[in-house]
Amino acid sequence: MDTTRRGFLGAIGQVTIGAAASVAGASQSAEAAEESHVPHWGMVVDLRKCIGCQACTVACIMENAVPEDAFRTHVSVYELVKDGQDPAMVMLPRLCNHCDDPPCLPVCPVEATFKAENGEVLVDASKCVGCAYCVQACPYDARFINHETQVADKCTFCFHRTQHGLLPACVETCVGGARNFGDLNDPDSEVSIMLRENEVSVLRPEMHTNPNVYYIGLDDVLDGRVAGDSAYHPEMTGQAHAHGEGL
Amino acid sequence: METQVQELVGAVHDAAWQPWAVQYFFLIAISVTALLMALPAFVFGRHTDLRAARLALMVAVTTGITAPIALLADLHQPFRFWEFFVYTHKSSWMAWGAWIVPSYVVLMLLFAWSLHRPEFYRMGQDDWRFAWLFRLFSLGGAANGFARPLGMLAGVAALGILTYTGMEVMVVRARPLWNTPFLPLQFAATGVVGALGVMLVLERLLNRDAGLEATINRRLAIALATVGALGVAWFAVALSGISPVHSEALASVAGFSVWKQIALWGAASIAIPFVLALTLPQSTGWITGLIAIHAAWMFRWTVFMGGQAVPKVGSGLYDALMPSGLGGLMGVIGTFGLWVFLMIVYTTFLPWTDATPPASGQSFGQTQSKPARTQEI
Amino acid sequence: MTNRRNILKGVAAAGALGTFGAGYAETVQKLAKGKWSGKKPRDEHVVGNSIPAEFTIDPETGDVTLNPDQAMSYTMCIGCTTMCGVRVRVDKKANKVLRVAGNPYSPMSTDPFIPYESSVAESFAAMAQAGPGQGLTRRSTACGRGNAVLEQVDNPRRVLKPLKRVGPRGSGKWETISFEQLVEEVVEGGDLFGEGSVAGLREIRDLETPAVEGAPEFGPRANRLVWMNCVDDGRDNFVLRWLKQSFGSNNFTRHGSYCGGAYRSGSGAMFGDFKAMPHAKPDFSNAEFIIFAGTAPGNAGNPFKRIGNLVAKARSDGNLNYVVVDPVLNNAQNGPSGERARWVPIKPGTDGAMAMAMIRWMFENERFNATYLANPSKAAADATGETSWSNATHLVITDQDHPRYGHCLRGSDMGLTIEGEAYSDADPYMVISETGPVAAGASPAPLFHAGEAETPNGAVNIKTALTLLREEAMSREMSDYAEDCGIPIEKLVELAREFTSHGRKAAVSSHGGMMNGSGFYNAYALMMLNTLIGNLNWKGGTMIAGGGFSETKGPAYDLVNFPGKVKAKGLPFGRNVPYEKTTEFKTKKAAGAPYPADAPWYPNAPGLATEWMSSLVNGYPYGAEALIFRNTNPIYGIPGVAHLLDKLKDPAVVPLIISIDPFINESTAISDYIVPDSVMYETWGFTKPWGGVATKATCARWPVIEPKMAQNAEGQRVGLETFLIGVAKRMGLPGFGDEAIPDAQGKLHPLNRAEDWYLRGAVNVAMTGEPVSDATDEDIELSNVARILDDMKATLKPEEWRKAATIFAKGGRYENIERSYQGDKATYAFNPPMLVWNEGLGSFRRATTGTHLPGTPAWRAPEFSDGSKVHDHYPREDWPVQVVSFKSPLQNSYSVGAKSLLRIVASNPVNVGRDLAQAHGIKTGDMVRLTTPGGTLESVAVVRDGVAPDTVAIEHGFGHRGFGAQDITIDGTTMPADPRLAAGVLLNDLGMLDPTRGKAGVWVDPVSGTAVRHGLPARIERI
Ligand SMILES: Nc1nc2c(c(=O)[nH]1)N[C@H]1C(S)=C(S)[C@@H](COP(=O)(O)OP(=O)(O)OC[C@H]3O[C@@H](n4cnc5c(=O)[nH]c(N)nc54)[C@H](O)[C@@H]3O)O[C@H]1N2
Ligand SMILES: Nc1nc2c(c(=O)[nH]1)N[C@H]1C(S)=C(S)[C@@H](COP(=O)(O)OP(=O)(O)OC[C@H]3O[C@@H](n4cnc5c(=O)[nH]c(N)nc54)[C@H](O)[C@@H]3O)O[C@H]1N2
Ligand code: SF4
Ligand code: SF4
Ligand code: SF4
Ligand code: SF4
Ligand code: SF4
Ligand SMILES: [Mo]
Repeated sequence: MDTTRRGFLGAIGQVTIGAAASVAGASQSAEAAEESHVPHWGMVVDLRKCIGCQACTVACIMENAVPEDAFRTHVSVYELVKDGQDPAMVMLPRLCNHCDDPPCLPVCPVEATFKAENGEVLVDASKCVGCAYCVQACPYDARFINHETQVADKCTFCFHRTQHGLLPACVETCVGGARNFGDLNDPDSEVSIMLRENEVSVLRPEMHTNPNVYYIGLDDVLDGRVAGDSAYHPEMTGQAHAHGEGL
Repeated sequence: METQVQELVGAVHDAAWQPWAVQYFFLIAISVTALLMALPAFVFGRHTDLRAARLALMVAVTTGITAPIALLADLHQPFRFWEFFVYTHKSSWMAWGAWIVPSYVVLMLLFAWSLHRPEFYRMGQDDWRFAWLFRLFSLGGAANGFARPLGMLAGVAALGILTYTGMEVMVVRARPLWNTPFLPLQFAATGVVGALGVMLVLERLLNRDAGLEATINRRLAIALATVGALGVAWFAVALSGISPVHSEALASVAGFSVWKQIALWGAASIAIPFVLALTLPQSTGWITGLIAIHAAWMFRWTVFMGGQAVPKVGSGLYDALMPSGLGGLMGVIGTFGLWVFLMIVYTTFLPWTDATPPASGQSFGQTQSKPARTQEI
Repeated sequence: MTNRRNILKGVAAAGALGTFGAGYAETVQKLAKGKWSGKKPRDEHVVGNSIPAEFTIDPETGDVTLNPDQAMSYTMCIGCTTMCGVRVRVDKKANKVLRVAGNPYSPMSTDPFIPYESSVAESFAAMAQAGPGQGLTRRSTACGRGNAVLEQVDNPRRVLKPLKRVGPRGSGKWETISFEQLVEEVVEGGDLFGEGSVAGLREIRDLETPAVEGAPEFGPRANRLVWMNCVDDGRDNFVLRWLKQSFGSNNFTRHGSYCGGAYRSGSGAMFGDFKAMPHAKPDFSNAEFIIFAGTAPGNAGNPFKRIGNLVAKARSDGNLNYVVVDPVLNNAQNGPSGERARWVPIKPGTDGAMAMAMIRWMFENERFNATYLANPSKAAADATGETSWSNATHLVITDQDHPRYGHCLRGSDMGLTIEGEAYSDADPYMVISETGPVAAGASPAPLFHAGEAETPNGAVNIKTALTLLREEAMSREMSDYAEDCGIPIEKLVELAREFTSHGRKAAVSSHGGMMNGSGFYNAYALMMLNTLIGNLNWKGGTMIAGGGFSETKGPAYDLVNFPGKVKAKGLPFGRNVPYEKTTEFKTKKAAGAPYPADAPWYPNAPGLATEWMSSLVNGYPYGAEALIFRNTNPIYGIPGVAHLLDKLKDPAVVPLIISIDPFINESTAISDYIVPDSVMYETWGFTKPWGGVATKATCARWPVIEPKMAQNAEGQRVGLETFLIGVAKRMGLPGFGDEAIPDAQGKLHPLNRAEDWYLRGAVNVAMTGEPVSDATDEDIELSNVARILDDMKATLKPEEWRKAATIFAKGGRYENIERSYQGDKATYAFNPPMLVWNEGLGSFRRATTGTHLPGTPAWRAPEFSDGSKVHDHYPREDWPVQVVSFKSPLQNSYSVGAKSLLRIVASNPVNVGRDLAQAHGIKTGDMVRLTTPGGTLESVAVVRDGVAPDTVAIEHGFGHRGFGAQDITIDGTTMPADPRLAAGVLLNDLGMLDPTRGKAGVWVDPVSGTAVRHGLPARIERI
């Protein structure tokens, strides 16, 4: 896959990324057709369809046994007031972007983090020393140390499901139909079509990570660190262990 | 009016580098800068500076042993430390660090040993209860001509440490606060401050010599001035907007009152000991030393924990600035515990006051009269 | 080296080392563990503890290969009242539900849903990436809550054994008892708690003695057993059989009056049925413009997921533009959709003003559908190609002192000879003609008329219904309406213009937001907008639900009738009948002052749980001797009910309270006994969508895991059915036992366990109309219906079981999506007329005042039961703020125990608008105190722009005291309270009593008798 091309175009900024993606998609497909086809997984999140129901968040937790103090994905909810306009709601699903230039990868001292054949950025848990360097390096807060297994953890694009022909848990259960998943190397896939037909952008384009998660309808005030007050988190969320204890 | 955002639902991310990491970076910086400060006397023969150098050496050794242990504790899979040496990912500064740290520790220990060897040997010859131990320590000889090359090698390793620790953190683009070219320099400069601070405190505890106190205090003043200058430069660059990474670093924390307090606190921690060390170098060792240690530690705590409290994509600040729970706090205290233990052992059992450069003219007979075991401290 | 200094040093060294040890103990432990310092995950390489895939689908062939360790079954979620068809993934060995996804056959979870003929294998492929449409088109979902509530099965605070209270009601102390003791005690009564004798169910079931001496209208004493129920979770028919046909009590109510009852009643007024309260939903996919006023699509709403999904798609891929009229901005709006999804803030409780302003504008600008409204009958509608009609042209008697004031003028009033009885269906409605009133016929009639009609009994003033509506609308200026609702005139006009610019492809939708002091009329007015453009039954307009397939009345078995069935009778406990039917009225009338009654009566309302609370504590119209709470939680759900709680807890007031519930919620907490019940996936039931689905759909629920409740002596799991059967048998009630269920041939079959009922119900569902095809062996295996196959074969006839198996294998029965429309019209059209004037409403007298209310939509400020205005009691100057409630997109009223939800949103700060916050110096994160005449609460504030002026909004679903938010002691062992379960605040704690009621009762809407949770007068301060 032509990551450099995607990288270059991605760098231009978000307005042109839609075009970039489609150009890239087209060229990829031409190349891909020649060799035997290797899918490159990607996700297109249509923010117009997200209702903030957090089905994805919970499905991911259940499917992947995500420990209580972490998320592989979650949906941020914002109230946005733009210059003179009415306040509006934005629900922003976040997960690992499975970057084609993942900053989390080169920092891993023991090569536990790797890019798999279909583009997933994965961690070999039997190798990971738990140094958390990758957690620092990911510009999206997409990684965490799993306190049960004591190794780096993150979204796998549901590797264990796609291997069996299934959709990622968060996509399968997406109530609004916002999360769409498929093969970016296949020009006829739903996601490729969506990339062609819509203006899309990515989170933190300035990081040049070349994400494989694209957004339709992303406001640029939300594409990086979001200014403003954080959501209310009551004190007690820390005591994760008391929950469910008792008789 | 510009865009206003209120996050209504958002996730919180824990700090992945825990207080142990702060301790590691704190202690290792002290160790290597102390070692570098010991070199002029022990390697390049600046005899006048020997007493300060002895303190420096002691600091380098004790913190140099403690630091890697803290590092190990910050690994969530400590037993897999050996993997560092089996898979070296060339693009990772940490992978290189994995080689540099043991090299430094080994060289530094060998260097310290070589400086003590003549006295070990001597004590092994005396007739007393632990003589056998010192015979063992001395490996049956007193020669230490190799101390000088060892010292130089250890010095190179120390520079390696300064480079890798600085770079490891600096390259993390995802954390604007870390991602400035100033950071390695600031780590080094605050390391010196910390090392001098520890030396001052030890001086007060062990030597109580106003002259020595003043010497170290003056050096501390220079180090603090350097740190201050770096800080001012950091702000100037960040505010000027010449360097986008700097501006981003500043922007990532500007506007949060807690960070304003931190900045003021930091400035005070530099300015106060600086003024004291400059104006009253002979009587402020305790206070300047302690504040200097505090400054060096706080710099790292702020950089690491504070840096991790800055969301990469979320809003507001995460709660990493305060040590979370007893575990984190115990990590901090436990590390100091180990260091204090090592200090006691070192000052009790080792002839630290006799560490001498391998001067060509030196022989066994010239060693100082008072044996270390009766050293009053 | 033994001097003192060295000893000190030694001590110091040891101390230092000790500290080190303590700080590094974890590291040492980790080191000692070796390669896995944490718990080694299932897969040690890349997927950690992720659950192994449920099946493999071959990308080339589409073949499905099951994972033998997991079962995949289609059943139902009860994570909220939507009750979606879902697919659960069960770890067979552990008898544990691992995960939930949607059922692609079910419209509640998928759009477009797959054809019912699809095999189970095909249904699996439909949702897989390697399947058709890459799984995206037919993906089937569970919402956030639906994904989490499987945790409720293993909730450590679940009640698994029958509990009996120890100590006073609500003390949180219980003992476990056997099922047999439970049945014996509740049936036989006696001195059960050492507090004196309690009548048992046997004694209460007296079908002879009147419930109230001298007031036969209330039926027999058996009515003093009263039953409160949540929503129909698919088991109500079983309950009703037991309660009404078998026990003989007429007193059953659901939660409607504190759910969305005001909306449903307002809608019922227009649809002409105050008991079933039909309501239509917009055709979300095809409408071009929708006004959501008081319902929040995608944030809540029922069916939650379906509406969320359809609206999301329509605003992105389709043609929908919509406006959410709401005091608080929530997930119903969507910024990235830009102008397609707009938010219009409104003052709480004032939708009537908005709607009447729009109606006024529509009259002034002739923007109503005159052709549609002119049809006075079905025949006329048919003739003009309309699919529904209204009584806009019907004449109404408007003389205040005419005995038929408020009624429509009928043929018999005019002295016409009619075939049936006067005022029966055969008695024609009258419309105006050039010659005066004539019977409504098959041609259009004049819309407006006001005049006199000569009747055999003299002249009478008459007006058309539409004239009355127009007069009502014109009775206030646009500026008054705008001022009252806080929406500027231009905006009101814009809304009305846009609403009337899409032909019939526009709609108004509402629900929970009507639960305010004017809710009934607000809802009626909003719904009337739909009638004014004639959108009912049209594609792109509004539609009534397609309904379902009945499990009780089908071709195979009759689950309703049985030998010895009794007929429950008597006026209902909730006073939702005309006061004039009571002995009290007659007595008072005889004494010359029939009004006011001792308490309000609500003839234009269905069963009213809210009013039951007043009936219970006041013993008016009579006292209850036993109360059953089944899966319901009025003590949490009704605003202001806390004021009645002490009385309710007093055994002298209601001597016996039994709860049937898996949890100790706020209501079951005050009961005497708790009968443990099954949680979702362990239980049976049949439900149909309550709206929003154009085709017939019945969702089937069956135990896909072995239930966790304790077993009774016969080895059956204790639960609702076991309990009712046990009680029935002990009491010898009809309809249970060996000869209880007649089949089509009249042969009687047993009803000894739940399966006897539900399996036969499934046969009815399967055989209705064109019977479903037989389940194949593959269907049975893939869906794990194999789990209940032996039971099915043993219970059902040989030709039946494969049909029933289809129902369970596919999780219900669903008509194909193509059946939604016939051309441009809805297949399941609603036929009775839309009532522009509702006679029942326009003619009744309020029992508390003796006065009339308008029979058309109207805007009225909220009133207490004596007719005085709420703001006269609680003036704006003293109570400048209004508090409203809105549903949590994540939680519902009982999901707090599903712990995965709390990690996403752990509490509910109160939402304060920016101006209000500024005025009180409140910033995000500050603590504030809210005070209403009913109570006070303290909470953290979040300052937002998305809150209407002078309004504070509280998300519902937090602030619990039940479910483990307080200590629970069972058999002396205490399970401590978990503060997380108690997090946040509950708006209902601010709820008010109606200060004008002599017999205590919460503030309700005067017509629909429904709880008021929006627009509570309040004060706010920073603390
Ligand atoms: N996520 C979720 N979904 C649910 C449920 C749940 O608990 N959580 N519960 C289910 C149940 S039981 C029901 S009944 C439905 C209810 O579904 P909805 O009716 O959609 O939800 P509510 O939150 O009751 O009310 C809708 C909106 O009315 C607004 N409102 C309050 N006062 C007024 C007013 O005076 N005028 C106007 N125009 N709006 C007002 C509230 O702010 C709220 O946003 O949802 C069902 N679905
Ligand atoms: N302030 C405020 N008040 C409100 C609302 C609001 O939005 N704001 N919403 C209102 C609305 S719309 C409604 S519908 C009512 C709801 O009020 P209710 O219907 O009275 O209460 P629920 O909590 O829905 O009651 C259902 C009970 O069933 C039990 N249960 C849960 N899961 C299962 C299960 O799987 N099986 C069985 N057998 N039982 C189970 C639980 O104990 C739960 O409490 O509340 C109303 N009250
Ligand atoms: S989002 Fe973060 S974790 Fe994921 S690939 Fe990119 S850098 Fe790595
Ligand atoms: S935590 Fe694991 S995956 Fe991440 S950098 Fe360290 S070793 Fe690599
Ligand atoms: S793809 Fe899988 S792992 Fe990634 S967020 Fe979705 S559910 Fe979680
Ligand atoms: S499941 Fe889909 S609609 Fe719901 S929050 Fe996640 S992305 Fe948004
Ligand atoms: S809407 Fe969600 S919680 Fe409610 S029944 Fe459906 S899946 Fe369950
Ligand atoms: Mo409801």
